[in-house]
Amino acid sequence: MKKFLILSAFFMLACVPLFSEADEDCMICHEDPDLKTEEGTLLFIESVKFLSSVHGESGISCVGCHSDLQGFEDFPHKEKLETVSCGECHDKAAEEFKASIHSEATIKKDSLIVSCKDCHGKHDIRNKDDFDSRVFPLNLPQTCELCHLGKVKRERGVEFIKQYEKSIHFEGLEKAGLTTSSNCSNCHGAHDIKAVHHPLSRVSRENIIGTCGTCHVGIERDYLEGVHGKDYAKGSKDVPVCTDCHSEHDITSPQNLASSVYKTKIAEVCSRCHDDEALSRQYGFLTSRLKTFSDSFHGTASKFGETRVANCASCHGFHAIRPSSDPKSSTHPGNLPETCGNCHPGAGKNFAEGKIHVISEKISNKWAYLLKIFYIILIIVIVSIFLIFIAADIFHRVFRRRKRE
Amino acid sequence: MSSEKKGLKNNMNALSKEKFLIRDDEIFMRMNLAERIQHFILIITFLILIVTGLPLLFYNIKFLKSLFSIEQSFYTRGILHRAAAVAMILNLIWHTLYTVFTSRGRNNFKEMIPKFKDLKDAFKIFWHNTGLTRFLYRRGILKKFFASHPYWLFEKPPKYGRYNFIEKFEYWAVGWGSVVMIISGFFMWNVELSLSIFPLWAHNIFIILHGYEAILAFLAVIIWHMYNVHLNPESFPMSKIWVNGKITGKELRILHPLEYKKILENRMKADQSNQRE
Repeated sequence: MKKFLILSAFFMLACVPLFSEADEDCMICHEDPDLKTEEGTLLFIESVKFLSSVHGESGISCVGCHSDLQGFEDFPHKEKLETVSCGECHDKAAEEFKASIHSEATIKKDSLIVSCKDCHGKHDIRNKDDFDSRVFPLNLPQTCELCHLGKVKRERGVEFIKQYEKSIHFEGLEKAGLTTSSNCSNCHGAHDIKAVHHPLSRVSRENIIGTCGTCHVGIERDYLEGVHGKDYAKGSKDVPVCTDCHSEHDITSPQNLASSVYKTKIAEVCSRCHDDEALSRQYGFLTSRLKTFSDSFHGTASKFGETRVANCASCHGFHAIRPSSDPKSSTHPGNLPETCGNCHPGAGKNFAEGKIHVISEKISNKWAYLLKIFYIILIIVIVSIFLIFIAADIFHRVFRRRKRE
Repeated sequence: MSSEKKGLKNNMNALSKEKFLIRDDEIFMRMNLAERIQHFILIITFLILIVTGLPLLFYNIKFLKSLFSIEQSFYTRGILHRAAAVAMILNLIWHTLYTVFTSRGRNNFKEMIPKFKDLKDAFKIFWHNTGLTRFLYRRGILKKFFASHPYWLFEKPPKYGRYNFIEKFEYWAVGWGSVVMIISGFFMWNVELSLSIFPLWAHNIFIILHGYEAILAFLAVIIWHMYNVHLNPESFPMSKIWVNGKITGKELRILHPLEYKKILENRMKADQSNQRE
């Protein structure tokens, strides 16, 4: 019993935040909530916040960071201390930070100087897994937005950053509480963050596939097997990467009406490239994909907002799209009965007898072409006859009335 | 002079006799109840089919797109379109049975058969309305020719029977259109069946047929039928025949003189046999 009492007393003592002897010297002054510099900057240090911080908990003393006061005795010290150098302990992070865009801003002596404390805080720094940490996954977006919604110049406007809050990734964080859902640093990196177009940036064309693939592993595999991915691997600048179709900050689920790849919108996304004359010449594919698709029942219904009809992806697939010449392609003539059969049960080989969304019916379907011409002429002739007869009738009535008068 | 007067008097006698046999305000049934119901069902189903079908051909027009802006409305459109099609087909079957099995229907059909006269009537009414040849004659151009061939002056409009060339054209256009629309529409409805019989390119032909025939039918009704029956100055804003089916003796004499004559002859014969008795 006695032993237990001693043990518990010892335990309680360990729980009470206590400053080391040296730090108590500092706190004599800095405990005063009214301590200010001449300019009015608060010099108060809330002891609880420091002692429960990661540094306080691990017993790092004041002079451990403020090293220019090491061994200093003649208080009060000079007003301006040297900037704390976190890199002395956190050497890896500091090295990564040196190559980052945030550090560049520092070197350039821009109006904005970003340093460790801007993201991590000062005396109250907590471990990144701590719920209250500024860089805890659920808190990070707010931390970044502190500057990126206000102070920072943005190429694409403040809305572009804010769009993240509409994304499925943010929804994952906010609603589902998934710390694995992408926050800013998952895509952009943390200490080593680079400008978007920097070749080493995680979101540059060169790296975006791998960045998204960190979480979406299966999709990265499919993509690299498809026609787009194969050319991407060869270094083509023309093929679409994830963000070209799915958009960036405001990425949403394809089931969401706001998604750029929602069933009724996907045709417009694909046709951005597949209706492009220059690209079609370079890569030898057909243009007018949107128009010819829209002319079909699938396309027309889709334009009217019907989601049950086929869109580009229903037949061509999406991440692993292959050209129809590839026997593994869902649009290879041999596979068409199966592909069409997904919606049209019992689809036979006739589904492949004839072309779909063709530019010129003149060549591909002579009868359809002739029939259209026949009908256009017929309609013009018949309507003209109608109008001539009606004009004659009206003329006669008017003329007769005038004669009577 | 006196002979002319005599002739006029005879004419007057004939006319008053005529008026006695067919009064101007006598009511004839141009469309009986069954025919009016058939016509009404045709209007309703045709309108539904046009509204639910034609916008698909003009998917780029925002106004038409907004017709289907409510969720599920495009799906409902499809159901409505097919329901109206079935109703129209049933109406057509009723009309066919009516035509075959009733004497009035058989008689209407006989009157509806196109004849060479209809082509001539169309030609005549057109030149009568324009009055070009009469204008030339008055100006003294080709005077000799017109004097010896008065037919080409088109002084009088052609005399129509129970159905004139306009009505016959419309009737047979509906007939032809129905056949095209029903066949092509049936295969569009049953894509899987269609493609188990026909290749894709043939199925595409059904789609083209259905669309273009729809445009033709729509224009024919909007321009030709609406003007000739309802919107022309004589019957504007509309002819009431499709509602009450009634036509007066006077209207019959002016619009359908040959039918009028036929009725008159029948009544004269009956009148004479009565007198003999």
